[in-house]
Amino acid sequence: MSSTAPALRARVPRLAEAALERARLTVVPKRKRRRTSPVPFLVVVSMLAVGGIIGLLLFNTSMQQASFAATDLQRQADALQAQEQTLQMQLDHLRDPQAIALKAQRMGMVLPTSPAVLDLRTGKVLGDPTPATRLDPLRLLAPPPAKPAELDPPAHVTVVRTPANHSAKHSPKNSARNTARGSHDGGGRTGTHDHTSHTGHTGNTPTH
Amino acid sequence: MFIALVMSFFGARLVQLQGVEPAKYATLAAETGGTVTVDLPAVRGEILDRNGRPLADSVDGRMVVADPQMTRKSAPQLARFLARRLHIDYFTTLHALSQRHSRFAYVARRVPASLAVRVVNDATAAGYQGLATRNDPLRSYPDHDVAANLVGFMGTDGPLAGLELTFDRQLAGTDGSETYEVGAGNRIPLGHSTVTPAVNGTDLHTTIDEDLQWYTQRVLRQTVLNAAADSGFAIVMDRRTGEVLALADYPSYDASNPTASPAKDRNSLAMTSPYEPGSVEKVLTLSSLIDAGKVTDRTKVVVPPELPSGGHIIHDWFSHPTLHLTLAGVIAQSSNIGTAKASRLFAHGQLRHYLDEFGLGRPTAVGINGETAGIVPTGSQWTGPLQDRIAFGQSVAVNGLQMAAAINTIANGGVRVSPSLIEGSATTNTGQQVGTDRATRHRVVSSNAAAQMTDMMERVVDPNAGTAPMAQVPGYVVAGKTGTAQEVGGPCHCYRTGGMDVSFAGFAPADDPRFTVYVVVKHPRRNIGGGITAGPAFSKIMSFALRRYGVPPTGAQPSHIPTTW
Repeated sequence: MSSTAPALRARVPRLAEAALERARLTVVPKRKRRRTSPVPFLVVVSMLAVGGIIGLLLFNTSMQQASFAATDLQRQADALQAQEQTLQMQLDHLRDPQAIALKAQRMGMVLPTSPAVLDLRTGKVLGDPTPATRLDPLRLLAPPPAKPAELDPPAHVTVVRTPANHSAKHSPKNSARNTARGSHDGGGRTGTHDHTSHTGHTGNTPTH
Repeated sequence: MFIALVMSFFGARLVQLQGVEPAKYATLAAETGGTVTVDLPAVRGEILDRNGRPLADSVDGRMVVADPQMTRKSAPQLARFLARRLHIDYFTTLHALSQRHSRFAYVARRVPASLAVRVVNDATAAGYQGLATRNDPLRSYPDHDVAANLVGFMGTDGPLAGLELTFDRQLAGTDGSETYEVGAGNRIPLGHSTVTPAVNGTDLHTTIDEDLQWYTQRVLRQTVLNAAADSGFAIVMDRRTGEVLALADYPSYDASNPTASPAKDRNSLAMTSPYEPGSVEKVLTLSSLIDAGKVTDRTKVVVPPELPSGGHIIHDWFSHPTLHLTLAGVIAQSSNIGTAKASRLFAHGQLRHYLDEFGLGRPTAVGINGETAGIVPTGSQWTGPLQDRIAFGQSVAVNGLQMAAAINTIANGGVRVSPSLIEGSATTNTGQQVGTDRATRHRVVSSNAAAQMTDMMERVVDPNAGTAPMAQVPGYVVAGKTGTAQEVGGPCHCYRTGGMDVSFAGFAPADDPRFTVYVVVKHPRRNIGGGITAGPAFSKIMSFALRRYGVPPTGAQPSHIPTTW
């Protein structure tokens, strides 16, 4: 009665021996681990890190550069704006009607008194055209302020009677020359010349 | 163990920085860069004439300041350099640059920014140390005295007169500010920054015509000086719109150098000083009388040599026997007696009502500070003798623009257009809305009455019939009226000791008026008479205005309505 396993096994016909053999579990043979090199990984990571840092640095630098440029340009814009305003101010001063009128008057221009108006539809001249004249010019400048009395004394005039026979000796031409000369001398000496100064003038005449 | 030691040192330093003296380090950080706050000054609005040309204009300005400690050594050379470049006084500059015990001195104020910066840079380049510029807004008045009495001027801290003052709230705008972080003088990108933008002031558009205003001022000055008068004013108004094209005052002043003129010359006497209009008023009286249906331009008036009125006797400006004048003759000859006599036809209160309708006694509210409302007696003050005098322009006071607008009513066919000085609409500091958008129109007298009055006024400039042939404008038909009013003055505040105010108001072309011009000369001492003093000025100003606006002569003939019978 002792039926042992080997006995049993011996009794079992050996069926599909080969299949059975294949189905048997076995331990996976330990594969030999191949150690890969860490270098590429480190290179990639450090490249990323360094690239990032350099990129950031470059970005930062370029921002700084842009900031410098912005400050510079802003300064330049402010300066140009100020210059534009100053030029505009100068232009406005030049456009001052007073300045234009003074220039025009210096050039000999006058204001028209009564210009003609041409009606282009009828070809008629309207109005009462009269040429402009220099009479009654527009006074453009304010009168100078009045001087204090001390600085504006009344004219000092001395009348000296010349001998009647003296003027008779001179030719009309000569006396005219003397008169002109007298007015050249200015207010202080006008009317004070005597015989001596007459001869002096006559002697000087050719040089005038 | 070692790490713990190091960490405890760090901890101690942290407590020192954050716990013990944080404020000190915060200030230190702010001083050595950190954040800066800059003001963004609002640009003050310009005051423009009707063609957009600036009467007052804002320019970026700087003050040049110095540190005398640094400039003292080379003060004479630097003062000479600055005096030449900035056109400032050498001695004042020298004094400023060589002060002792001071580290701040003004060298020049309100210099155009580009000039100030250039000069300081040049000075630094030439080796002078201790100069700097600071913000100092500059207001420029390119036309100097043109419209200065209207425009006003700016003081160091704000506006002091005229439109600058009245419309300051609109012109000034609101300053902004900007705060940002800086490092080494440059703005830190992505740094913290806040900006409150400045709100620039709004420009003020006036109805003034710069060139016409200039011409009016020059003619007025010449007129006042030739007549040896105290003062004067002239107003040019567009008949159709009531726009004031020119409002000239003399004496005037230079708005870019206001302190060179006395304060009394810096406001608009035309608007602020009430005066009696004199005979120009007769236009209002008699056109009202025509409108009331009491008379016509041909009504015959017997004018006696004198007319008793209350306790007084009314005279004419010339002595005459009894005259037989038509109403047109009364205007042409400017007869006080004729006008007073005719005005007695008014029902009680009627003339007062008409004058009110013409706008007398009420401010024109065009936006001028301190405008006078004028004086028109009311209620129990209004007696018969008073009405006699008011009829020819005594015992009633007006401002210049009121009177110009009243005469313009006749030019405009009896419809009064309220005058305006501001184009569009603007709000004064007191919240009053003014401007052409607010202009009102209302009929005062019938168009028939206005037409009759125009005919009568055409006779005023007739060489044979009228008082002011010199007011004629060659080629055009002019309607106008002279005025010669006694000034109230002297210690007795009566007519006796005062001078005269002479005036001329009129419009042209009379058959289709384009402009109303009013000229008043106060207290002339030569050529006293509305016709001979104010008349030629009227003629010149009107002629210039007609020419400038290309108004062709209408070819009409002046009225020949009889003045006598």
